[in-house]
Amino acid sequence: MQASTFPQASVAMPVEPGRRGGKYLIFHLGAEEFGTEVLKVREIMGMQDITTIPQVPAYVKGVINLRGKVVPVIDLRLKFAMDAQEYTPRTCIIVMRTRQAEEDLTVGMIVDGVVEVLSLTASDIEGTPDFGPGVVTPYLTGMAKIKGKVKILLDIDQVLASDELGGITGTLQ
Amino acid sequence: MLDLAANIDPAVLTDRIDELSTRLILDGVATLCPLDFERLGQTAAGLGNGPLADAAQRIGESIAVASTLSVPELTRVVSSGLVELRKLLDAPAAGPATAATPSSSCASHPASRPDNPLAADEGLIREFITESSEHLATIESQLLLLERDHTATGALHSIFRGFHTIKGLAGFLEFAEIQSLTHEVETLLDLARTSQLAVSPAVVDVVLESTDAVRRELAAIAQRLAGNTPAPTQVDAALLDRIRQAARGEPSSPEPCPATEEALAVEPMREPMLQERRTGDSSSVRIATAKLDQLMDMVGEMVIAQTLIGHSPALESVSDALLQRNLTQLARITADVQRIATGMRMVPIGLQFQKTARVVRDLARRAGKQVVFEASGEDTELDKTIAEELSDPLLHMVRNSIDHGIEPPAERIALGKNPTARILVSAYHQSGQIAVALSDDGRGLDRDKILAKAHKNGLIQHGAQLTDNEIFLLIFEAGFSTAEKVTDISGRGVGMDVVRRHVQKLRGRIDIQSKAGEGTTFYIKLPLTLAIIEGLVVLIGEQRYIVPISSVREMFRPTPEMLSTVHERGEMAMVRGRLMPIVRLHRRFAIEPRAERLTEGTLIVAESEGRPFCLFVDSLVGKQQVVIKGLGQRFKSVAGVAGCAILGDGRVGLILDTDGIYKGRA
Repeated sequence: MQASTFPQASVAMPVEPGRRGGKYLIFHLGAEEFGTEVLKVREIMGMQDITTIPQVPAYVKGVINLRGKVVPVIDLRLKFAMDAQEYTPRTCIIVMRTRQAEEDLTVGMIVDGVVEVLSLTASDIEGTPDFGPGVVTPYLTGMAKIKGKVKILLDIDQVLASDELGGITGTLQ
Repeated sequence: MLDLAANIDPAVLTDRIDELSTRLILDGVATLCPLDFERLGQTAAGLGNGPLADAAQRIGESIAVASTLSVPELTRVVSSGLVELRKLLDAPAAGPATAATPSSSCASHPASRPDNPLAADEGLIREFITESSEHLATIESQLLLLERDHTATGALHSIFRGFHTIKGLAGFLEFAEIQSLTHEVETLLDLARTSQLAVSPAVVDVVLESTDAVRRELAAIAQRLAGNTPAPTQVDAALLDRIRQAARGEPSSPEPCPATEEALAVEPMREPMLQERRTGDSSSVRIATAKLDQLMDMVGEMVIAQTLIGHSPALESVSDALLQRNLTQLARITADVQRIATGMRMVPIGLQFQKTARVVRDLARRAGKQVVFEASGEDTELDKTIAEELSDPLLHMVRNSIDHGIEPPAERIALGKNPTARILVSAYHQSGQIAVALSDDGRGLDRDKILAKAHKNGLIQHGAQLTDNEIFLLIFEAGFSTAEKVTDISGRGVGMDVVRRHVQKLRGRIDIQSKAGEGTTFYIKLPLTLAIIEGLVVLIGEQRYIVPISSVREMFRPTPEMLSTVHERGEMAMVRGRLMPIVRLHRRFAIEPRAERLTEGTLIVAESEGRPFCLFVDSLVGKQQVVIKGLGQRFKSVAGVAGCAILGDGRVGLILDTDGIYKGRA
């Protein structure tokens, strides 16, 4: 309700949701560890056959059948412009439920592996440091330092925003 | 004796006559034989309907000696005979009062009494009651909202819409009481909507009172429908006056006090009536279609899981008879569940026909023509979405028939036809599809006039060779109309292209048969459901795709002499003397194929808007029925892909859109 009345609110303060403490699912891409709110995770599944879709950006790997529902899958490495890697037995698909434009959207994301589930308090979380010009961090909501390791917290709704996924509309026509 | 006949069940005879009429129209007179009428005569005699038995016998004899008559002559003899039979049937059974109502709809409700005027539209009225009750509930909740916040325009609009809908439905079903009441309320609300009137508590009161009055009326209608005679209800003029008063912005007169008392006095009477209506409704449940779709998804998955278990290699070494038996049982149950789940979306087509019947009556009266409407096959079930989409095309075709097809009574008499024309609509299954036929016995389509008009509008080239069917189909072109003058019923040239658009949207096709002077029949063929298509599964590289069978003409492995290139780039195949462009799907979709050379793969001849072209794929996997699923908002603009489906092994296959592939070919 509020978002529709003040559409700029969510954009102006993207840091806010990540600042909340709570349970986070930690996964990794290479050496970097990322965290996402556990409440938005629907399930974690091993790699499986993905049906490719023509004319979509490379990071959109295609669709899978999740118990009768057709779910798009993205490769998070490619999405974050990291190098592509061979899938290993540890590679898995995290199926997320996000809310986009008043609509529930289920999307799978391929990650190198799942690490753990962490309980973070608000005091564990710091704001995103300024990386200087050239490094855009629209998806990052904060950083958590636990036992000397940094976890990058993601605003998954932004990562999986449907216009990001389907930026295809423009490239097609 | 005659009384006996009326009591047994004239429905048997009606059905028999309907069946004969349908066959006459659809299959031609040649398929009818004297024996059909002899049997009809025997049934009639068995029921004690002597005159009918004699008449049927006479028609049978006339067919038997018919070798001297031409087909149109014989058709006329038989159809007028059937009309006579129908009259004889109606005469002793129900009297002239019900002669105008579709006879078969009476037959489908044998419990309803012939003297119950509401019985003919029972389904419609029940729907009206349910729908209106829902609107009333919304109206009340919105009214309460409005009372708290007088500026809630959204609530005001939704109240207005609710009353407007009820008014429309009531007018359609000729419930004058409700119509006049809701009309007054609508006027009042319109003033409020356009800010000419402040929403005072008095306004809310009077509107609330009106919802109660409408509800009382609905309860009374339900009572009458059940065959009871409820205490006569009447929307008291005092209420109407108060509404008008409120509309003028005057404070309500001092009399509302006795009026509310009056309303209270009615209360105890009204309660049991409402109760009764609710129990009547309890046999059905309204379900959100999203839930049904979910159920369908899960059932589909269950079938896949069951197949995977059944064909699991591990089971082959097991020789446990009990396990085998249980697995077979599971397979059977799964199939049943699937069938039931699919059937839950199906509704009988009869309701659409009833709406059509009403339209025919009104339009015919307005056009000054005499028309009897008959329906058959009302129990034929089809997907709810399709049934609803069908009502518009039916309406337009009926309009076309009444306005252009059927002659005025005087002209019909001059032509030696029965002054009362017939419009027959029937639905039946045909080779896995639903066919709906709508025929009239009017003047038929004028082939030459259509051709001339098509030339004038530039729809066809001069000298084009067209079959009759192709010519008739021209009337579905946008902007085509042969009506010489514009009437308020049709003739603006918008009707028939709407029909075609609707039918195409439902993946159906339309055909016309027409004979000058004898009438026109429109045939619409539709899939049973929109959710399932028959598809050809093809392989390209590691990916499987589904080509809808409806767009596949043939498939073959090409030989080198069939192939040629243009500028070494555009590839063509010569198929039966016709050159067709080849679209390599693997290039289009950027997939690594198994077969790079055309002679190592398979060509599928598909069609895009009448132009054939070849799709090059690696190989064919097989034919399969698949449940169509959308790819979702995100991928809706992917050209060449119409959707996707879960294949037998649980993987997703993309359904190809041949039009999109042809248009986007490089």
